[in-house]
Amino acid sequence: MQDQGMNSRGLILAGVVLAGLAFLPAFAERYYIYLAALILVTGLLASSLNMVLGFGGMYQFHHAVFFGAGAYAAALLTVRGGANPWWGYLLGPVVAAALSLVMGLICVRLSKLYFGMLQISLGSLVWAIVFRWYSFTGGDDGLHGVPVPPLIGSVRGAFYFTLIVTAVCLGLMYLIVNSPFGRVFQSIRDNPERAEAVGVDVVRHQLIGLVIAGFFGGVAGTLFVTVEGTVFPDLMFWTLSLEILIMCLLGGWFTFLGPMLGAAIIVSLRTVVGIYTEYWTLVLGVILMLLIFFLPEGVLGFFTARLGRRRAAGEDG
Amino acid sequence: MEIASNVNLASLGQQVLVGLSRTTILFIVSSGLSLILGVLRIPNVSHGSLYMIGAFFTYSVASFIGGQTGFWLALILAPLAVGLLSLAVERGIFCHLYDREHLMLLLFTFSLMLVLGDLVKLTYGSNYRSLAAPLMLQGSFSLSGLPFPRYNLFLLVAGPLVALGLWLLTNKTKIGKIARAAAVDREMVAAMGINVSWVFAFVFCIGCLLAGLGGALVAPTQNITQGMDHAIIMETFLIIIIGGLGNIWGALLGAAIFGLTDAIGILVWPQFAIVFPYVAVVIVLLFRPKGLLKSTW
Amino acid sequence: MKGKLWLILALTAALGLALGGAAMAKTIKIGMVDCYSGPPSTYTNDVRDAFQLYLNKVNATGGVMGAKFKVLTRDSKFKVDLGLAAAKELIMRERVSMLVGTINSALALALSDLCQREKIPFFVTFSKSDKISGAKGHRYVFQITENTAMIGKAAAAGLAKKPFVKYWIAGDDYEYGHAVAQGVWDNLKKLKPGVKLLGQSWWKVGEPDFTPYITAILAAKPDAVIVATGGRDCVPFLKAAQATGFNSKVPFYMHTATELATLRPVGKNAPEGVLGTSNYHFYYPDSPANKAFVAEFQKAYKRLPAVGALYGYITAQLVVQGYQKAKGFDTEKFISAVEGLTVDTPVGPVQLRPDDHQALLPMYLGVTKKSPKYEFLIADGIVTIPPADAAPDLAAIKKARGK
Repeated sequence: MQDQGMNSRGLILAGVVLAGLAFLPAFAERYYIYLAALILVTGLLASSLNMVLGFGGMYQFHHAVFFGAGAYAAALLTVRGGANPWWGYLLGPVVAAALSLVMGLICVRLSKLYFGMLQISLGSLVWAIVFRWYSFTGGDDGLHGVPVPPLIGSVRGAFYFTLIVTAVCLGLMYLIVNSPFGRVFQSIRDNPERAEAVGVDVVRHQLIGLVIAGFFGGVAGTLFVTVEGTVFPDLMFWTLSLEILIMCLLGGWFTFLGPMLGAAIIVSLRTVVGIYTEYWTLVLGVILMLLIFFLPEGVLGFFTARLGRRRAAGEDG
Repeated sequence: MEIASNVNLASLGQQVLVGLSRTTILFIVSSGLSLILGVLRIPNVSHGSLYMIGAFFTYSVASFIGGQTGFWLALILAPLAVGLLSLAVERGIFCHLYDREHLMLLLFTFSLMLVLGDLVKLTYGSNYRSLAAPLMLQGSFSLSGLPFPRYNLFLLVAGPLVALGLWLLTNKTKIGKIARAAAVDREMVAAMGINVSWVFAFVFCIGCLLAGLGGALVAPTQNITQGMDHAIIMETFLIIIIGGLGNIWGALLGAAIFGLTDAIGILVWPQFAIVFPYVAVVIVLLFRPKGLLKSTW
Repeated sequence: MKGKLWLILALTAALGLALGGAAMAKTIKIGMVDCYSGPPSTYTNDVRDAFQLYLNKVNATGGVMGAKFKVLTRDSKFKVDLGLAAAKELIMRERVSMLVGTINSALALALSDLCQREKIPFFVTFSKSDKISGAKGHRYVFQITENTAMIGKAAAAGLAKKPFVKYWIAGDDYEYGHAVAQGVWDNLKKLKPGVKLLGQSWWKVGEPDFTPYITAILAAKPDAVIVATGGRDCVPFLKAAQATGFNSKVPFYMHTATELATLRPVGKNAPEGVLGTSNYHFYYPDSPANKAFVAEFQKAYKRLPAVGALYGYITAQLVVQGYQKAKGFDTEKFISAVEGLTVDTPVGPVQLRPDDHQALLPMYLGVTKKSPKYEFLIADGIVTIPPADAAPDLAAIKKARGK
């Protein structure tokens, strides 16, 4: 397992894939451009969750609430406040980070499953407020036709904007993971008692980690509004949280790009299989089971482990 | 917020009883989940699916046999069938996965939930199913002027019986004692030369059987339909968290808290019924970060 | 040898041409996005099947102006994000001519917005939100079902004739429940200013046990109760009402209480005397058109049609006859043709109102009653509330849209 989550080769590969995506609109039809944008948004959300899940070892079971908070903040700013939609991209992440701080302050002292379940309860309270506050949030009907800046209003424009923001965010998260803070954060995951013993302020580091994850979750939320032009309470329901958790685990939660890969696999699977059969969850379930059986470290974890082995073997010979 | 005008002693007592009968169902289902989580360390997300399957099996058996005996037979056969199904799943798949990370097991049970959900849809289709309670349990009797359904009274009797059975199983039988010991220290139990794998299979089977029993008991009061799994799974997880993970009596306490706050909340503050369970969890965990009773985690 | 090869080649070419020619004949693709799994599917499957039934009939007789219809369905799992993605796939990849669906109001509103931007028609077949043809209505969206505003008007018209004064309102804690309750109550107060509201209770969708709510309501001793619950919660509510004897102590009204999808699963154990409204019963109206429709549906799917089947059938009728009237396949011409179109449905002529794109269906108010003919209860003493009495107020819609 690589602590930094990714080696330089992986970084180059990621860069090549992102750059390659920039040429997608030149040849792909509109639907695939939209699908790519959707995968990027979901992938960014899963990656932000993995900041605390994979690198912090914290069972953040209700991460979608920050996604929803970012999306709702951006949407409400324009729909209710009548502000320029560009401001939403600033407000969304900030609101999500603030919410993350508040929830973190309440939950952070709990461990593992207890942390996760308290988080689910608090997040569900936020969801209930959004679900019930008809006059402000639109209640369970949601808000539709949310204004998006005209420059990025088209499918293509939204895709480019999503691509750029996602790339920047991934870069920032990579820097954070590999910063001194990131190393301490990961040492807390591996052994909280030892970290405490050598004088690390565990709670403070975990709080900062939570706020960072919430912030990037909020960014993903604002991107969702850009791509879909709509917000609804499902965006902060626990089922979505479970789904992105699954994406992290599937892709490999000890790798940096695993969650992105997991999101790509699940979003494309349900789209492609959904075209052919109503029973796509059955197919998805079976595929997931097979993957768990044969790739216990997640898909990307499996490949990096194999690459590592092969390289080690090569050096020996 | 003004308190509703209809609160008096009779109605309050009534609601307590109704809340306790709901507690029965919640306890039976969540004690199974707690057992599996405590001994096997599997956060079984597919537990709700087994509850749903229990209800569907009950419907099938009861309508196949028909008449008054149908329901009673179904009440025994359906949970057993769920238990057998879970045994097959455990021996076929789970027993190979015990050394995995908890979260990977969660992922696995999640995929199991997806598969079971679609299998139910394939088998039973989309129509709602409904099952009548046996004649002697239909209707209601008057309780200080307010009607109290006979079936809820039956649940009030069934709950303590199941609790007693569970207590006997875990405290008075050899396998129960081994399972409890394995929950605390599985290496120790294995070192004593006991085949832990089969102990786990037994516990998993019993836990799932309880989910099936919950489904069977709830069948006559409910709309038997797809989606029952989603409706109960979050509630049961929250219950075992506030009770203390892996502690069966914690599950009972948690279920009572849920059943009662809900029932009394409906009477006193009906507009906010939707948030009661979550508020209960937040309050409990703020003061007792590891749940109310001693957990095995 | 060589000659044979040529022959084969020629035959293949001819076959290819023939196939190509057949493929050249225009196919009109229609996308259906709806929740086909979970509890709502008991309603949506009826919509889909009846929609397909009518189009199959049209296709079998040569289609419309030589074009055949092809229906593509996608399961939304009652999730807005999945439904949106599926709808975009249908629009952008399959290039469907129009969308039909959905039971989820949030998704219906989201798709309505999408279809307005993409400029393709969207027929809403089960969502009851009155925003669809009301405040959020536009040129490209059509609502075929009754909506909460219409339910409110129809129910209030029926309840105002009853002697009840003290009411209790209870319902699903989401938009549908609140909108129905609000609609009934506002209209009832207008018709009968003396009515009094004792209190309200709201439960979460999928509530497992209604007994505590019912006992709480009974403790308040109202004259009647308005139950604003829909979908899967109707069945457990009726069961709890039967178990507690609720219906014999306090009369209650519930929209869809008399519907087949609600009453069939409960069988003979459903409570009698419950007031309910619905757009459709397979046994009412007792007209040749309805009998023919029931026979046709039963023959194709081996089950009785519930209310969803009517919505699906009417939608297909509007689509086909809209194209026929437009004399072509241009979207804008189709919309202009289908606006104000009246079709002969199993429940008589139904108009798609040109002003707000709302289909005006009659509503049937009835009381549940056991019947020797069926294994389940049916609606008795049916009073037809004509569309004119339940149609949403156009002036109010104009005002709401102007905002």
